[in-house]
Amino acid sequence: MKKLLIALLLLSLVLVFAACGRDNDEPEPEQQQEEQGEQQQQEEQQEEPEDMGLLGPHNPIEISMLLVTTEVAPAPGNRIAVLMEERLGVTISYEIVTPEMQAERISVLIAGGGAGLPDILATGEVEARLTEAGAKLRLDPFIDSGRFPNIYNHVAPYRARLSWRGGGVDDGLYTLPNYNRFYGNPPLLSPTHYGTGFFLQKRVLEWHGFPDLSNMTLERYFQLIEEFIMENPYTPEGLPHIGFTFPAFPGRVWGMTNPPMFLAGFPNDGGVIVRDGVASIYAGTEYDHRYFYHLNQMFLRNGLMPGESVLVDPEATTQSQDMYFANVANGRVLGMHDQRWGFGSPHDSLVATGQFNRTFVPTMPTFDGRAPWYADRDVMNIHQGFAISSMVSEERAEHLLAFVDTILSEEWQILLSWGQEGLDYHIGPDGIFYRTPEQRLNYDDTIWRQHNRLMGFLDMMPKLQGTLSCGNAFTPGHQPLEFMDGLDEYDRWFLEQYDKRTWRDFVNDPPPNPPHYPAWQISVGSGTPADMARSELEVAALQHLPAIIMAPDGQFDTRWADYIAHIDRIDVAAFEEAMTAGIQERIRNLGY
Amino acid sequence: MAKVGRLRMGRGRLARKYKLQWALLLMTVPWFLYRLLFSYVPLIGWYIAFSDYRPRIGMSPWQQIMQSDFVGLQNFRMLLDTDTVMGQRFIQSVINTFGQAILTQIVGFIAAITLSLMLHEVRVNGLKKVIQNILYLPHFLSWVIVASLASLALALPVSGGIINEFLLWTRIIREPIHFLANPSYFWGIVAGTHLWRNLGWNTIIYLAAMTAVDPNLYEAASIDGANRYRKMWHITLACIRPTIVMLLIMNTGWLLTSGFEIQWFLGSGVNIARAENIDIFILRYGIQMQNFGIATAAGIMRTFVSITLLSIVNFISGRLGGERLF
Repeated sequence: MKKLLIALLLLSLVLVFAACGRDNDEPEPEQQQEEQGEQQQQEEQQEEPEDMGLLGPHNPIEISMLLVTTEVAPAPGNRIAVLMEERLGVTISYEIVTPEMQAERISVLIAGGGAGLPDILATGEVEARLTEAGAKLRLDPFIDSGRFPNIYNHVAPYRARLSWRGGGVDDGLYTLPNYNRFYGNPPLLSPTHYGTGFFLQKRVLEWHGFPDLSNMTLERYFQLIEEFIMENPYTPEGLPHIGFTFPAFPGRVWGMTNPPMFLAGFPNDGGVIVRDGVASIYAGTEYDHRYFYHLNQMFLRNGLMPGESVLVDPEATTQSQDMYFANVANGRVLGMHDQRWGFGSPHDSLVATGQFNRTFVPTMPTFDGRAPWYADRDVMNIHQGFAISSMVSEERAEHLLAFVDTILSEEWQILLSWGQEGLDYHIGPDGIFYRTPEQRLNYDDTIWRQHNRLMGFLDMMPKLQGTLSCGNAFTPGHQPLEFMDGLDEYDRWFLEQYDKRTWRDFVNDPPPNPPHYPAWQISVGSGTPADMARSELEVAALQHLPAIIMAPDGQFDTRWADYIAHIDRIDVAAFEEAMTAGIQERIRNLGY
Repeated sequence: MAKVGRLRMGRGRLARKYKLQWALLLMTVPWFLYRLLFSYVPLIGWYIAFSDYRPRIGMSPWQQIMQSDFVGLQNFRMLLDTDTVMGQRFIQSVINTFGQAILTQIVGFIAAITLSLMLHEVRVNGLKKVIQNILYLPHFLSWVIVASLASLALALPVSGGIINEFLLWTRIIREPIHFLANPSYFWGIVAGTHLWRNLGWNTIIYLAAMTAVDPNLYEAASIDGANRYRKMWHITLACIRPTIVMLLIMNTGWLLTSGFEIQWFLGSGVNIARAENIDIFILRYGIQMQNFGIATAAGIMRTFVSITLLSIVNFISGRLGGERLF
């Protein structure tokens, strides 16, 4: 018995050592697969001497991909994924991270020194941490080799702007933008304004008899809501109305902090206002004071609203994304400050249930009759999007780039964006793509998408936005005819009342972007005093602004003074100097 | 094995002892290696706290550590510098961690013992089992779910805040309380959610200790005329005192850990001043901003305070003639 026990213990000891040493002795399963794949490839090449190219079922590759997106992973057996495997020999294994969690995930990847770094890094990080830490492969030698014509054409006109400067690694091209590299002159743009606005429910405007929305002020915006609530405190389902709300949960704090910038007539530069190439924060300024004082005054009117309805949502600053979405989807929310993409999912569910009069149109209140600059010209997502891990071998990088080059062809772009001809869309006699109502419903159905589209993949990969060479728009939503045909009867009528053709017509016609624009893309480094100040300003806003908005009568001034005192303790100058330096460099170097 | 037990432990006879116990010693080897590998080897990483650590891709962890510049105690000084916002927040996060943990421990401790006593007094065995099982259930919910349940329960009545609805209905309050918008409630929220989730689970050890109490004691007390409450006080509680003290000592080790998920999900807004504990501070300043040096320094300070607290409590308890952990 005793001997048996000892034998068992010795065995376990051996196992422990074996487990420790395993990493060095045995190849990783992935490597094994690769080796097997190479062997297969060699064997096949012996059988078939002619060159079949890198891509295809004869040369299968499994690509790991870090994908920062709000989209969900495709379902197993996804139609487009199967096509990719059959035609290109490519299978992708996704690691999907939501945008608000990406800072942690990226930090952990970097701290790990590259172990487990996925082949493709498709991230939206503004601070370019992966680039600075040397996690991305410099793409210039590959692109200049002439073997990837689609990628070359994609970046050629914007090479200087897309290239990384600023230390950590050699200057050069590391990242291909995932959005707003447009084709066509002029490119077909979205008929929907996806940016910022003080949104109003269409029902409110209808009730007011379609009032003029030009020269909007904060006072009039709230007046429109207040008068509506006084007469209609409850939704048709009997839920109390919320006059005005905004997102303020992690990752969306700008829903609470951005308005003063727009009210003052500046475009979206993030946490700063830029005058003559110099950045300054607006937190704690006169603009800030004016907006939050007004919001506080409106909050104090909550008690005057009939029933349980409120003019300013007392839970705006504590609500989670789920609660916010639920309130919008229930039709309780009459107005909010947000960016249109920010409430996409409750908007879609309102559309899906046919409640078009409870969807929203943007308005643009400003102070003192200033010209609104809510809509800007779509800016390229610089240093965000697709990159290849610096840990992959050169052959594997070639293979990955060949895949991306193929994906950037119009054939694949149409497959990813429109789908398969006949199945997802039809081609009219004039070559114009169109869809049947059923195909439109499918396209908007989230469950259907999981099985028939690669939403997350398309979200982060480079794409041919704008107009395709066949004259069609890149996505159905941007196709003028599709937009008109897809409009509901109510929406068509609503647009007629305002004598407008698209939802984009409700916002300003954007002037050319300033040379540095947008400042929120500028990296101030990580862990630098500027970075800390940026984060501390956000925390100060999170901590004080809710108390300021909900200050009881007479306490606004003391709470405002607390906020100012908090800002004074932060190294704001470090942040402003870093931003100004970044702006100056953009103006000097990039020749926009 | 019996032979080993009877061995006489003389001085200077180590060699003989080893010879006789080599099988036992061999048994400890895997666990010793396990501890060494997973608890002590990682301490090399503490060097990060004394360096300007900027990790790069393509280097082994060892190279990463060696290539960063030594900065001495700079990270510690920055953390304790109360002139900066970061220093103030670190100190506040230590206070918050203590406050949240002490409140959680006290509330949880009293409630668990009270509940165990009550369960112990339930004479119908089937009913007791049912109640116990129902009480255990919340323990198996993940903290994420607990946090979202709590945020719903604490909301205003119009958004489905059942706590406010109950308080209004019982006329305890006239106006609904906005729990999540007022920092003063946050420590209570932490204690409350921990209580809700872990109460049933924490009774297990006490109940086990109570079943070990000699029934003769109760009989003797009954003969002496003790009523039910007297017996609970003088016999049940007195007999499980060693268990109580031991758990108290062990829990001190957790005083600088007050959880993560509740603070992360419910305390990221206006209540940040009372919600941010050391873990959240490390995540915000350390991981999110890649200040790995500061994160490690904060972690080291926490470890030292924890060990010191534990030793003090252990010493006091030993002095008072009670149980000791080591």
